[in-house]
Amino acid sequence: MKHIFRNKKIGATVTVVPKEERRFDDEYPGYKLTEEKAKKFKKMMGVDRHRIAAPDVTASDLCLCGTRWLLDRGLLKKEEIGAVLFVSQTPDYFIPPTSNVLQGVLGLDHDVIALDINQGCTGFLVGLLQAFLMLEMPSMRKILLLNGDTCSKQMSRFNRINYPLTGDAGSATIIERCEEDNPIFCLMNMDGTRHQALMIPAGAYRQPSTPETLVPREVEEGVVRSLQHMQMDGPAIFNFTMEDVPKQIEAALSFSGDSRDSIEYFLLHQPNEFILKQMTAKMKIEPAKLPSNIVGIYGNTSSVTVPQNMAHNFGAELEQKSHRVLMSAFGTGLSWATMVMNLGPLAACKIMDYEPV
Amino acid sequence: MKFTFHRKRIAGLLTVVPAREKCFLEEMHNFNFPESRSLKLKEVMGFDKRRVVEPGVCVSDLAVFGLRHLFDRGLLKPDEIDALILVTQSPDYFMPPTSNVIQGRLNLKQDMICLDISQGCAGFVIGLMQAFMLLEQESVKKVVLINADVLSRKTSPKDRNIRPLIGDAAAITLVERDTEDSIIHARLKMDGRRANTLIVPAGGMRMPSTPETAMLEDVGDNNLRAKDHFYMDGTEVFNFVQVEVPPLIDELLADAGRSAADMDYFLCHQPNRFMLQKLADKMKVPHDRMPNNLVERFGNTSGATIPMVITCNLAERLEREKLYVCLAGFGVGLTWSAMLLQLNKVHFNNIIEYK
Amino acid sequence: MNKPEFYQRLAEILDAEEVKPENILKDFEGWDSLAVLSVLAMADAKYGVSIKAEEIRAINTAEELANLIASKQK
Repeated sequence: MKHIFRNKKIGATVTVVPKEERRFDDEYPGYKLTEEKAKKFKKMMGVDRHRIAAPDVTASDLCLCGTRWLLDRGLLKKEEIGAVLFVSQTPDYFIPPTSNVLQGVLGLDHDVIALDINQGCTGFLVGLLQAFLMLEMPSMRKILLLNGDTCSKQMSRFNRINYPLTGDAGSATIIERCEEDNPIFCLMNMDGTRHQALMIPAGAYRQPSTPETLVPREVEEGVVRSLQHMQMDGPAIFNFTMEDVPKQIEAALSFSGDSRDSIEYFLLHQPNEFILKQMTAKMKIEPAKLPSNIVGIYGNTSSVTVPQNMAHNFGAELEQKSHRVLMSAFGTGLSWATMVMNLGPLAACKIMDYEPV
Repeated sequence: MKFTFHRKRIAGLLTVVPAREKCFLEEMHNFNFPESRSLKLKEVMGFDKRRVVEPGVCVSDLAVFGLRHLFDRGLLKPDEIDALILVTQSPDYFMPPTSNVIQGRLNLKQDMICLDISQGCAGFVIGLMQAFMLLEQESVKKVVLINADVLSRKTSPKDRNIRPLIGDAAAITLVERDTEDSIIHARLKMDGRRANTLIVPAGGMRMPSTPETAMLEDVGDNNLRAKDHFYMDGTEVFNFVQVEVPPLIDELLADAGRSAADMDYFLCHQPNRFMLQKLADKMKVPHDRMPNNLVERFGNTSGATIPMVITCNLAERLEREKLYVCLAGFGVGLTWSAMLLQLNKVHFNNIIEYK
Repeated sequence: MNKPEFYQRLAEILDAEEVKPENILKDFEGWDSLAVLSVLAMADAKYGVSIKAEEIRAINTAEELANLIASKQK
């Protein structure tokens, strides 16, 4: 899908991460890894530390904390909100939509649309697309886009490949109209024939949760998981990120008339440092323009990595002035999306620790 | 919030229902109530037959079956689909989105968008709005909207308040641009303060499923229910519908400069016969212009009820005439929604059985 | 493809002193999912070819892997 959106912008964004930081160096003895292998893994994947939500903290709690921050600082007024979009794969409930729960907690009026969209790592861009579509309707007010996931709860603690790479986070982003033309170039593709490459087999309706689906099993050395844990076909995902995604990024650059030089920041989803470095080399992008550090500092936080990347690496710059950026995200579905736009100056571009409210 | 859309139309409607039928007269003995009271309930609510999936059948199974039916008959070509919107509360997986599962099983093109939206009984109007928004984009010409749920699988066998109500179905709606300058008016409201009126307490991240959440508990009104099961506060829902829906439709009619008398039909979500009769009375609409006959044949099928009520009651008439109708969906969220549009030239309009 | 150079690269990935054509990949202690990822990356970066997930799963010996990559280069 190929779209150009106009007269719309990201106004502000805040990412909330759990306070609890776990370090790989403390965790790896639990994975039955030799010190040597652990070191190799750490270096190759860029693993160092990650943030893990407490057992009773959900993605909506993290998003709510960010929303309160925006409201408390006057960056957003309740009556300005036209829609609350909650993009997640770890909702509070199957029924009701988590966005409605948040609407109630925030005390938003009946005219606000609350919508839950199930999306993973591509979720920030899918959420932006949805927000832009909704802003085309004249009656729509500002959109509060909430991206949140607590993937650590759907990951085995004893999966030595994926657990160290996983983090929890939530973000709250304001999307609004603007006077300037501000064209936003957007490409989105999906391929369901590869939907098994990244999945949680049990826990919903295909295979409902039972005592058996909760039993952890060692599927390869050091990789223990149950059917209710996330599983990934590593080689299939690697090929996906090395083939489909770079092709789309190239297409987006030519769609927007940009070059590698005209783009100041390449804000890519952060699965692991290894894949990001391979992609950077393959696409011949200057590494300084394409940060790959988020996963090693916070973990792969699913759809939150893009706003988190903005805030952690370029928060001050994006608060100050406009920058030419390319965002690209890819993951379960499979789905992959790229947008090129002028981003900033943002009223806020922050990252903060979770405080219960 | 109010909306208007231009030059959009419903081009076809196909509903897939499971072949397995349950009959209230047989089921009522499972519940802990005297027969006389259950028979009274049957009379008032319109409980009779409902369709439920066999164990293990999922939303994607019903959807894929229906789309294959359309492909096989040349009513839709796979490559024409630019967007697939799945509105469900009973997805196959937490991850990946079930819309992608459907896309993959049918080998649809990569150049499309698949979207899973979590919505229930108001999901047809919300799904149509989503389709209309996508159709505003040049690259989107045909949108497939699927409203599907298999909620029977989350009802307690010992809960007479819920079990006999719920049916399973998948409604497939083809939405495209209209060559006529048609105007569609819509209104949508939500109230999350009442989000726990319809709820499945466990199974998400707030209360993950465990062997304990699967245990049936005495909930105090002669019914047994687990935290994994669907629960509805029936009284609260009844009040909600009677209080919120009529003014919403009045406002919508005013938006369009129309009166209730201008509407050929009011096609509402189908919770039960009683609630719809009371709603018609309150709105002073004759009962024959607000059909209420779906629950007795298929059960309450969540977001699929409105397309099914169209097919069950109007399929023949829509072959030869235009009808100006008001759609109204209300339920989980809480959400209440209504839409005024013209139904015309609906290419396909039928219900098939899943086998 | 320079075969000795390929086996040398493979040995580095597997943390082995030496890899012989007839060696079975699964027998190496270092043949884990990280190594698979590294092989895919090497194939892409050094030989300009992409190996599918099912292809790598079907591979038994080091020589089969070398042949697969070489055949894709043509």
